[in-house]
Amino acid sequence: MTPLFLASTEVWLDQLVNGLTTGSIYALIALGYTMVYGVLQLINFAHGEVFMLGSFAGYGTLVALGGNDLSGGMVAVALILAFLAAGGASLGTAVAVERVAYRPLRNAPRLAPLISAIGVSVLLSHLVDDGFLNGGAKFYPQIFPDGDIELGPLQVTYLQLFLMGSSLAMMGVLYWIVQQTKTGRAIRAVAESRDNAALMGVNVNRTIVVTFALGAVLAGFAGVLYGLFFSSIRGSMGFLPGVKAFTAAVLGGIGSIPGAVVGGYFLGLTETVGRELLNEIPGVNLPNQWKDVIAFALLVLVLIFRPTGIFGQKESKRA
Amino acid sequence: MRVRGHRSRIYLAFVAIVAMAAVFAAACGGDDDDGGSTAGFSDAGYKTAGLDKARVVTIDSGAAIKIGISSALSGDVKGLGVPIADSAEVAGDGVTIKGFKIEWVREDDLCTPEGGPAAADRLIKAKIVAAVGPICSGGTRASLAAFDKEGITHISPSATSGDLTSPTRAEGPYVTFFRVPVLNADEAAAQAKFIRETLKLKKAFVVNDTDDYGKDLAASFQTSFKAQGGEIVGTPEGYEKKTTDFKAIITKIKAAKPDVVYLAGFYAEATPFLQQLRADPDTKALVFMGGDGVKNDELLTGAKDAAEGAYLALPGGQGSQFAAYKSKYAAKYKGDAETVTFGAEAYDAATAILKALEKVAVEKSGKLEIDLKKLNEEIKKSNFEGASGVIKFESNGNRAGAIVRFFQVKGGKYVELPAK
Repeated sequence: MTPLFLASTEVWLDQLVNGLTTGSIYALIALGYTMVYGVLQLINFAHGEVFMLGSFAGYGTLVALGGNDLSGGMVAVALILAFLAAGGASLGTAVAVERVAYRPLRNAPRLAPLISAIGVSVLLSHLVDDGFLNGGAKFYPQIFPDGDIELGPLQVTYLQLFLMGSSLAMMGVLYWIVQQTKTGRAIRAVAESRDNAALMGVNVNRTIVVTFALGAVLAGFAGVLYGLFFSSIRGSMGFLPGVKAFTAAVLGGIGSIPGAVVGGYFLGLTETVGRELLNEIPGVNLPNQWKDVIAFALLVLVLIFRPTGIFGQKESKRA
Repeated sequence: MRVRGHRSRIYLAFVAIVAMAAVFAAACGGDDDDGGSTAGFSDAGYKTAGLDKARVVTIDSGAAIKIGISSALSGDVKGLGVPIADSAEVAGDGVTIKGFKIEWVREDDLCTPEGGPAAADRLIKAKIVAAVGPICSGGTRASLAAFDKEGITHISPSATSGDLTSPTRAEGPYVTFFRVPVLNADEAAAQAKFIRETLKLKKAFVVNDTDDYGKDLAASFQTSFKAQGGEIVGTPEGYEKKTTDFKAIITKIKAAKPDVVYLAGFYAEATPFLQQLRADPDTKALVFMGGDGVKNDELLTGAKDAAEGAYLALPGGQGSQFAAYKSKYAAKYKGDAETVTFGAEAYDAATAILKALEKVAVEKSGKLEIDLKKLNEEIKKSNFEGASGVIKFESNGNRAGAIVRFFQVKGGKYVELPAK
């Protein structure tokens, strides 16, 4: 009997897990893009750098607490503190950027804040790369417990499980905040119509800051997960995940929270499983460097046939 | 109105993504280097250089013998170029040829394809008899014809691109061009031999940086490894600089079940690669081989335990003349020769010219006659122990018997493995 696929079951499952882990990080960052777009129709290109600074704050915390020498229960304590520090640093960065670079341009032509965002992005990444690291990289302490769970051909490390699980939990918390709390209702109201929300007594500026802050905390959290998982961090680390997460947000339908999550996982899976699928075509054997070609080709296709993205909102719900 | 406004936003987003993607694609683009054939010098090649017959240069009594140095003396690569020029010059300290002094003529080639021919032109007008340089592959490629037309033999201490000694012309390699550095292809061949003969492994999986260096080294390795009876398993996987996510590549490695994973790239990416490779139980103990781009102290501090056991190759060695070079360099330029990249190679290039001059220069009624044809022949026959090992040239001008040393990470340090 000839097997159905060229690649083995192990490869498929492995790539599935790889796609879900990368996708979790894309999704966490994409949420920040999509929420800010939802309320301001602004593409916050500095969001990748918010993610980067969160990752560095987490790194600094872990190193200050002992780095690679941490063991036992201290690892858990250090990780919690690292996540808190990363969330705090990202939140602070995002709020400061909003105050300095976006709010003064709130009523300027649409392109002005976009350029301002790109400027902040370049400034922050070069400040860290050239100002502090001299173009080098830092490496996260490898403290997460080793080991993996094997279920037949499926093999998942504890770190991968933690990454996927905690990302889902964070997204769940965000969804609850947006859907169930008063703050969330304010965010949704501002997204519907800034003027009408203001008339209903919503503090628009405060709500916008809260939106930036929520997205930033998720990005900071993603920064620590990224560092733990991929180990090397640098000033320019935010650029590519930032572009990918933005892509994920557009794929899912920018402005839509479930869309950002689905878009993130979809993009992560496309890069890994998508390549395997194409490699099943006889005569096709695409190496790793093709993954971006595949991902962006898919994006173009989605936008041609569904310009509003997978979860694109109806016109009536928009400002 | 509302619909249009919404659409234009989406298109704006779309344009932004395409623009970003284009920048990204441009950043990782690059053209393939052609390794080329290994054909040697031809009679036709000597003819175009005017070296098929005697070509005598006469130095008046009291004048100095001029030797050119084409190096980057200003601009971005100055930090590399100036110490190389200095290293070449110290080789001539105290040297006279039949009573005639040596005068070094330095010209700035900027390490660019534009600067190379300009520097060559100025050197030729200054009436040099031979030259050290140019230092970069691009500048060298553009100056080959200029030196060749005048029959001026030049030796590059540092141009490593494969095609320089296999240019696309019917006459074959330029007979006036020689070089001292170890080429990517030689490094790769030594690595292939080490894996086959010392480690006795058969199946290799190739991972490479998608820049010129990584592609050239990886392609050379595959050719050499197959020629030595090895087998390349799976598809070679590429990654761009600053990549941190190697999980998908590692999945492919696991599926291909190699004996050794070969990485052609730099330590900045090799560090997370090794950490992710070692984090996976299936590839925890897989043999790893890297090249000169990976062997860096940053790998040890970054990857820590994950670097343990890794094999690394480092081209170039130190010959018996290194101590002499080092002391002369320290005396004249107050620097440490150990830190000068391609310094020993520049010293050896200059030495090869001086040794050949000593043999071919003829004194005639107070004047010195130098036949450029004989000078070229003597340089081709070079065979001496220099600062970077034994200097000998192959029939196409490449260095013969390239030295590549091997190291293994043991206890957080690079330990040099005994040569076989």
